[in-house]
Amino acid sequence: MARVKKSTSIAIVAVLALAVIAGGLVKMSSGGSSKGGTITYLTHSEAWTHADPNRNYTGQHLAWFSSYLQRTLTSYAHAPGSDGSAVVADLATDTGRASNENKTWEFTLRDGVKYEDGSAITCEDVKYGVSRTFATDVITDGPTYAISMLDIPSADDGSSVYKGPYAAADNDTAAYDKAVSCSADNKTITFNLSRSVGDFNYTVTYLAFSPVPKAKDDGDAYDMHPVSSGPYKIEKYKSKDEMVLVRNDNWDPKSDSVRSAFPDRIVVRFGLAEEVRDQLILNDSDKNSMSLDSVLPTNLPTVFDDAGNPRAEFADRALNVYDPYVTYEAVNVKSLPCLDVRKAVYYARDYAGLIQLSGGAAFGGDPADGAIKPLMGLDYAKVTGLDEFIAAGNADAAQKYMTAAKSSCPDVYARATDPKRGLTFDTADTDTNKKAAAIWIDSMKKNANITMKFNYIEAGSYYSVVMDPTKQGDFSRAGWAPDWANASTVIPELFTETGGFDLSQNGADPAYQAFKEKSDAALSEPDRVKQGKMWAELNQYAMDQMWIIPRVFSKTQEIWGSGLGGVFFWEPQGAPSFGDIFIK
Amino acid sequence: MLSYISRRLAVSFIILLTVSFAVYVIFAFLPYDPAALTCGKTCNDPGIIEANRHRLGYDLPFFTQYFLFLKGLLFGRSFGEGAAMITCPAPSLGYSFQEHACVTNVISEALPVTVSLALGALVMWLALGVGLGILAARFRGRIVDQLSTIFVLIGTSLPTFLTGLMLLVFVVIKWHIMPFPAGNYTPFLENPFEWAQILLLPWITLAFAYAALYTRFVRSAVIDTSNEDYIRTARAKGLSEGVILGKHTLRAALAPIATMAGLDFAGLLGGAILTESVFNLPGIGRLAINSVVNIDLPIIVATTLLAALFVVIMNLLVDILYAFIDPRVRVV
Amino acid sequence: MTLLKIESLSVEFPTPDGLVKAVDQVSFEVNAGETLAIVGESGSGKTVTNLALMGLIPKRTANILGSAKFESTDGVVNLINSNQKELRKLRGREIAMIFQDPMSSLHPFYTIGDQIIEAHQIHNEVDIKVSRARTIELLEMVGIQGAESRMAAFPHQFSGGMRQRVMIAMALVNNPSLLIADEPTTALDVTVQAQIMKLLRDLQKELKMAMILITHDMGVVAGTANRVNVMYAGRIVESAKVRDLYANPLMPYTQGLLASVPRMDRTKIGRLSAIPGQPPSLISLPSGCSFNPRCNRKTEVESGKCESQMPELRLRADEHLVRCFAGEGA
Repeated sequence: MARVKKSTSIAIVAVLALAVIAGGLVKMSSGGSSKGGTITYLTHSEAWTHADPNRNYTGQHLAWFSSYLQRTLTSYAHAPGSDGSAVVADLATDTGRASNENKTWEFTLRDGVKYEDGSAITCEDVKYGVSRTFATDVITDGPTYAISMLDIPSADDGSSVYKGPYAAADNDTAAYDKAVSCSADNKTITFNLSRSVGDFNYTVTYLAFSPVPKAKDDGDAYDMHPVSSGPYKIEKYKSKDEMVLVRNDNWDPKSDSVRSAFPDRIVVRFGLAEEVRDQLILNDSDKNSMSLDSVLPTNLPTVFDDAGNPRAEFADRALNVYDPYVTYEAVNVKSLPCLDVRKAVYYARDYAGLIQLSGGAAFGGDPADGAIKPLMGLDYAKVTGLDEFIAAGNADAAQKYMTAAKSSCPDVYARATDPKRGLTFDTADTDTNKKAAAIWIDSMKKNANITMKFNYIEAGSYYSVVMDPTKQGDFSRAGWAPDWANASTVIPELFTETGGFDLSQNGADPAYQAFKEKSDAALSEPDRVKQGKMWAELNQYAMDQMWIIPRVFSKTQEIWGSGLGGVFFWEPQGAPSFGDIFIK
Repeated sequence: MLSYISRRLAVSFIILLTVSFAVYVIFAFLPYDPAALTCGKTCNDPGIIEANRHRLGYDLPFFTQYFLFLKGLLFGRSFGEGAAMITCPAPSLGYSFQEHACVTNVISEALPVTVSLALGALVMWLALGVGLGILAARFRGRIVDQLSTIFVLIGTSLPTFLTGLMLLVFVVIKWHIMPFPAGNYTPFLENPFEWAQILLLPWITLAFAYAALYTRFVRSAVIDTSNEDYIRTARAKGLSEGVILGKHTLRAALAPIATMAGLDFAGLLGGAILTESVFNLPGIGRLAINSVVNIDLPIIVATTLLAALFVVIMNLLVDILYAFIDPRVRVV
Repeated sequence: MTLLKIESLSVEFPTPDGLVKAVDQVSFEVNAGETLAIVGESGSGKTVTNLALMGLIPKRTANILGSAKFESTDGVVNLINSNQKELRKLRGREIAMIFQDPMSSLHPFYTIGDQIIEAHQIHNEVDIKVSRARTIELLEMVGIQGAESRMAAFPHQFSGGMRQRVMIAMALVNNPSLLIADEPTTALDVTVQAQIMKLLRDLQKELKMAMILITHDMGVVAGTANRVNVMYAGRIVESAKVRDLYANPLMPYTQGLLASVPRMDRTKIGRLSAIPGQPPSLISLPSGCSFNPRCNRKTEVESGKCESQMPELRLRADEHLVRCFAGEGA
């Protein structure tokens, strides 16, 4: 998990956030592109994690479903590079109108927008879709922004007083109707938020804010047959088999300034053996196909040279790019209240050995210096004070901090150097993690005389264990990607107690209160440039305190057949630009 | 004969009931919380877990749960309330939150795939294994026999996963002898040609492994039978070698093969996990293995029961068939 | 009339340990309608001799030498160098066989009726009804009650003796001129043995066929056979009319065999004696006379002769051939 949703972006967001971009400008120029044909996507997965729009949360799935099947009020622009992070109007006529200090947001639906059955998409449908995300017992796995942002009171146990459209008892529907309302013509939707959210129009790019016709909703089972509002509709969807999309005749290209809809038919083949999936693309067996998964490490050298660039024959059908993820070891500050030992661990670590496990720097990525990736642009600043970092591990620095720890925190020092006790490290029980553990144990012993003990947790229940403060060890392996191009979806999530992924337990840190106040201030800072600076400073502080041991700014590799054109990396979703792919 | 069959049927029913109970007991004591597995991989909200536990009846006493499971089989079952209410008509095996569908529907979609796979492979491996086994026995020590020994060696030592992968990568992807199938599976009634085209390589993969076993088995069965006194009697009667082999030797030699084939077939109906995985066939085997990986309890229970059902049914059929082949069994 | 004339028949099996001479230079005749008994211990070559005659020893597993001329209805046939097709025409039609173990000699999956009908159909181009009638006739002839209904029964539904009756019926269904009965009673209870032997005797007389009775039991031979060949280690060691053999056995081995049979016609009650030692291994036969290690009359012959020379089969009296130095004179 680690809210494994993707998105990234660059500087000009502040400008774009306010700009209303006319639809026609955003569509990719379709030079050399052509309509028609069948694009086939290949994947080892047995099915989509979720096809129900309100339950979609990973960047690749959001990119795919928003390109073909689901429209939202606003969308990211379909454009390569930083242009892709611009928010543009989709179902709505503009990118939203904020008032009341960004606490009230209004969106008006375009005329002529329809579902696949020809019925009109109304404000009530959007409102119903959003209401479903409150039913977290049925509509699982989706983002819960509506719950945390909408102005709806909490019950005594902290949960929302509104429980979604399915619950009958103890359900404050009136509170929801007050927070989300529709105009008399059923075209304009108004969201009342509990706090200022300057980039709420980014939030609504999530399919969690897409329309769902109430009459077609059947709860969990809706995941297998969501109703389309996009250019295609589902002809067949069977887990372990395939999904087939055909054109949706009720989609009016004139009402959609975002989507190109080049192919006539789109097929997703599920459950391919990983080697078969890769070989089909590598041998160009079906020129019009694309892999949805990362390339097997053993096949990477076939496609890329040692530097990580595509080889000549794969020049225009492979990508090796940074994905939105930062991986790190979360430090349990409560159990490890000793900055010197935390630093010793950071410097003693054999980073070079660990990155080799992910295919080396060419495919694995670069050493991370914090929780914010350079792709975040405005919010990133190089973290200082880490000059002693040496990829293979710096024994001198590590020992220096351990010597300091002897007097600054003798208890933690004694535990760390005691072979019987040592420090504990949580990791999911996988082969790769076990190899990494060996490198960790070895380099800690050698460079800092620290004993590291590993706690292997069954992969499926890993996060539910480490997120339980009573079960968490000193270090927990983790990773995170921002929900959209703003560190507001990183710093508060990872480092404040109200965040969804606060593994550091840094409330125990004496400086936490000041940190929290500054984070809250950054959240409601309307000046995006100022806000970016604040995030960078908070990131620097988190690193000064070693609340996390940052690992990698990771990369991802994509391959596709020679028949496909228009592929680029859609940065905000951290995935290929599915909606712009055509058959040459 | 009729009383024999009805007695066997009754026993089979009791076996299935016992298996279903055993499966239920095993899963009741697994260190997994079925309710926690219904609300996504990241579920850590106790309120949601408890709500789902109640909705799915996991908060009821064990025997009540088992009784409701049996009742669902006969009369169908519903979970939840309002628009999110899930109704699974009889025979209901529960609802899978991984597949977002009633387990019975999931099974009934996967079953034709596995049956097609198993049936085609059965025909192929019986033809090949029995044919080659007879030839090898008939021409013992000669070139056919030696070639069959090589075949047996390769067939029994190559894992089906590797055979399948090699067939796919070379025959389809590298040499383009066959096109990569346009779908993962096409029902026979929809397009018999595509059905066969998609299943051809999986059949060959499975048949290859089984045919090797059967070649070895048939060869020794035929050789053993040819040494029987009654075969000498047949020869003394003046029968030709062809009639002796076809009528006297094979009938006796192949009787145990019927049992073996029946049980192997039952095993495959329970799911040919590796072959289905290599060829991405949406059959029972992949359903079963994924349910284990995802700890999808209702599907695990259903696929386990299904596998048991097939073994029990095939055992019954094989025994009845055997009684027809071998008159000595009938009096028992 | 000579029905079968065997001359210098040898059957050798090449094995990794050397050549096994299962049958070595055997010659004898069988006349029409007479019963010839071949007697000997297991491994003496009596069964192999007959399997060779029937062509039931696969050619590539053995060297079969010599000749065996059989007077068939279509003229004289040498059974040794005929091909399988020619032999198949004779098998079951002119030469029939019954075997030692009736438990395993009938196919367990077919009714006895089907098995007998099959034997009839293969040699007669007649309607199945004719074969059925013939089968019922034969089953009644061998003493099976309710033959018509019993035809639908399977072998396992019969007792051992009954099964041997079925085998006999099957062998006789085509009126063969020669019946080879290989230890037909060995696997049966003593009381049943007598019944079966009586049946065979009666049928043989009635049908006027010749019979080769292979047995290790001298007691069975007495009332049935006209002539007896005694075999030891692949060779005939004594051949005589049955009366002559019983009255005056000349070969020490034959004497030993007879001494091991309880006899009612002897007034003096003595102990039954067994032949000391074991039958020899066919791979490593003793030099000289094969019987010499077990022989109690070597003292009658000059020292070392039995160990170094193989005695010839010589005529000692009227139709009485013996292979022994003792009593041979100089």
